[in-house]
Amino acid sequence: MTAPLLSVRNLVKLYGGRGGPFSKAAAAIRAVDDVSFDIASGEVVGLVGESGSGKSTVGRTVLRLNEPTSGAISFDGEELTRATPARMRALRRDMQIIFQDPFSSLNPRARVEEIIGEAVDLRGPLPRGERRASVVRMLEHVSLSADHLRRFPHEFSGGQRQRLSIGRALAARPRLIVADEPVAALDVSIQAQIMNLIAALQRETQVAMLFISHDLGLVEFIADRVMVMYLGRVVETAPTREIYRRPRHPYTRALLAATPSIDPRAARARPRVLLRGEPPSPANPPSGCAFRTRCAFALEACAVARPALRDIGGGHQHACLRDDIDTPRV
Amino acid sequence: MAKHVTQNLALAFLAGIVLLAILAPVLPLPDPIAMDVMNRHGSPSFAHLLGADEFGRDTLSRIAFGARASLAVAFIAAVLAGVAGVALGLVGGYFGGWPEILAMRPLDVILSFPPMLLALLTVALIGPGTETLTVLLAVLFVPTYARVAFGETLSVRHHEYVEAARALGHTAPRILFRTILSNVAGPILVQFSLVVAACILLESGLSFLGLGVTPPESSWGLMIRGARPYMYQAPMQLLWPCLALVLTVYSVNRVCDMLRDRFDPKAAVLWFPAPRKTARAASPAAVPAMGKMLDVRGLVTEIATPRGVIRALDGVSFSVRPGETVALVGESGSGKSMTGLSIMQLLPRRVGRIAGGEILYAREGAERSGASAAAAVDLARIPAARMRAHRGQEIGMVFQEPMACLNPVYTVGFQLTEALRAHGRMTKAEARARAEEELRRVGIPDPARRLNDYPHQLSGGMRQRVAIAIALCGRPRLLIADEPTTALDVTVQAQILVLLDDIRKMQGIGLVFITHNLGVVAEIADRVVVMYCGQVVEDGPVEDIFYRPLHPYTRGLIASVPQDGGSADKSRQLFSIPGTVPNPLDLPPGCRFAPRCPEAIAACTKAPPAMEAAGAGHQVRCIRWREI
Repeated sequence: MTAPLLSVRNLVKLYGGRGGPFSKAAAAIRAVDDVSFDIASGEVVGLVGESGSGKSTVGRTVLRLNEPTSGAISFDGEELTRATPARMRALRRDMQIIFQDPFSSLNPRARVEEIIGEAVDLRGPLPRGERRASVVRMLEHVSLSADHLRRFPHEFSGGQRQRLSIGRALAARPRLIVADEPVAALDVSIQAQIMNLIAALQRETQVAMLFISHDLGLVEFIADRVMVMYLGRVVETAPTREIYRRPRHPYTRALLAATPSIDPRAARARPRVLLRGEPPSPANPPSGCAFRTRCAFALEACAVARPALRDIGGGHQHACLRDDIDTPRV
Repeated sequence: MAKHVTQNLALAFLAGIVLLAILAPVLPLPDPIAMDVMNRHGSPSFAHLLGADEFGRDTLSRIAFGARASLAVAFIAAVLAGVAGVALGLVGGYFGGWPEILAMRPLDVILSFPPMLLALLTVALIGPGTETLTVLLAVLFVPTYARVAFGETLSVRHHEYVEAARALGHTAPRILFRTILSNVAGPILVQFSLVVAACILLESGLSFLGLGVTPPESSWGLMIRGARPYMYQAPMQLLWPCLALVLTVYSVNRVCDMLRDRFDPKAAVLWFPAPRKTARAASPAAVPAMGKMLDVRGLVTEIATPRGVIRALDGVSFSVRPGETVALVGESGSGKSMTGLSIMQLLPRRVGRIAGGEILYAREGAERSGASAAAAVDLARIPAARMRAHRGQEIGMVFQEPMACLNPVYTVGFQLTEALRAHGRMTKAEARARAEEELRRVGIPDPARRLNDYPHQLSGGMRQRVAIAIALCGRPRLLIADEPTTALDVTVQAQILVLLDDIRKMQGIGLVFITHNLGVVAEIADRVVVMYCGQVVEDGPVEDIFYRPLHPYTRGLIASVPQDGGSADKSRQLFSIPGTVPNPLDLPPGCRFAPRCPEAIAACTKAPPAMEAAGAGHQVRCIRWREI
């Protein structure tokens, strides 16, 4: 196997915790707690979790938009956590991000030509005409047109703005894109358009992608491999088909079971297994397995030590102590 | 409008003063410092239009040259202060930490001195003069700008477009001056005009005290100083500079308001005229259809926007039976939330109004007996006071964001007991016992302790449960839930859906569930009302809608949801509806979905289609439903 494009090892990101002279020390929030994973060139990795699971923080920290507290991030063999600011700026063009909110991710006072042009500039200065031609090509790629060059973001709908964001990210010709809930703010009918666009462009450019979402259906559609996060930790990772067919971690199962299906008869027929309670605070996670407070299968041993990810073959890893839970997924 | 007249007058006056100041040396004005002792306090004449001052100098000329001094000092000081203040604010706001302390803390020192005092001190030390004055005023106003720029930068910094600029690898100066500066420019411009006005006043004040512009140069403050001893002999000489000063400052402030309106589009709201009492007479004896507790017929709701009036709802009809869950489904702009707000009479005051149709509601038991007119009300027409009595006791409402109905500064217990006591007479102790019971009913563990919690101490799911408890505590018979689970995680969403369904079953209440999520609809609804662009396009039992959808829009929506299926085939596509929702100010003629519809034919764009019955309890607004 060739070396992965992105390799993350023992990534930790704490928020807060340092009390200043005038504020009492608060417990640090462990937003990302010892996370390791690889992304190969051209691979799409889905990162799934609920709010507060730390999935967005992983995405931002990998790009060093947030500084990691500890851990190693290597991109194409180069250690990002040790890169100088100047080197980091140069590296950034290879790693782009698409944000969730199409309204706050575009500069409201910049025209389309400038928004995409800024990213085009990263490949080196171009004469004015060529730069514009390049911007127009990118607009056409995302199903917009040269007519839009002089417009401001507020003149576009949510879906069109997200096309612009995608265009901006791709214009720098990156090798890795972090897509942070890129369609969560869009209407259902527009979501499908944008997902098709992202999938098609990914196939065409073979850019590697970390696709962050709370929507299991979208992740299944686009990802080669899926990671499930709970309270800052990865609890299960497997190839997409495998994880949807044979989820092993009780949390993954609960997540799949809670996702509403659009089949009313099946929805009513299936037993209602509800997960108890809500995720605990990341400032004060439970001892041992973070999920044990809500888990129907928890043992005493679960509270003792934090279970590590275990490989069960076929690229499937999970962090549950028990192997004897085998209720098949409905 | 009167507002525009005064604004234009102010603008014209300001332009006139600025022009007068600039052109003063070339205009045929007498020399402002040439004395003519014979003509002391001379009356207005052709040679001296506004008369002459205590040294016989021409007043008009001195006003013009005084404007030159006042305005030049004010503008230059405002610009200097602006450049320095904005730079400090940007740097402090963007970087935070030490740069913030270095940039912002010294300014607090300046702010802690009264400006006049600081000015007096400096002039006393350095001596008066125009240059000293300008620099002094600039220093005094640096903090004002810096604070505005700092605050704006702080809020802009967290926008994702700034993150995106960082992700593109731009340098900090480029992000500061190209991305952030243009976005904070509006409030800074407003600040600029305020500072100009303040500088003019301060300059005049200091000159009046003899600490600013030095004689024989002219300045309005100096003129007032000169005229003051003779105010009984020659009052007009005092009037002219005062008038110039007052009008200029007023005009600058007025123009400043104008700028603020321009840069804050939210401030400009178009309002409907106050409703007339007789506008909508009650329709005689309208009652809900047999067996229905809520019967909405042809509801039209209008919203005033700065660009025109939008018909947010255009003839919406649907009905709810007791114990039934009706889902209103649609995308943004479909009017689903507007329908809920219209039923509750919670449309924003004078921005939204019901312009037609009926919202017939049958009170307790009336729907069974065939609803006599006495037991039915038209919620679209009853006065606000009567509606208030219905809210909570007949109809409850739950919102997407539970904080919309929870007050952050009161405990859950206080808010719940308030709601309970509003619905019926009871003592505080009784209310507290009831409140505990209500929380237990919505599945909150340890309710007695939770009563003492503030909303921010609860998790999102718990907050939504409290909001549901408050909505239900008046024992309403109909509950309107507007995207109640959209802000929640899927595992918590599942809990809330089960809770709402259990409550509906146990209490037999009608539930109107507003959502964009078809999965949630499939889980909870008995009937589904699909909305598009302010109209109902399909209405039917849940199984009909999901297994036999008739409207191309409904079909498209269902097909757009990614379903589990082998992901081995990487080239597969999600089904998607092409195009976007049309602009509500410019709706297509005929069928509103026609421009995006794969089945549209010429006839679809000719006339708006009507709802047609297509089976038991199934209606569809499409002329081609039989063929496709």
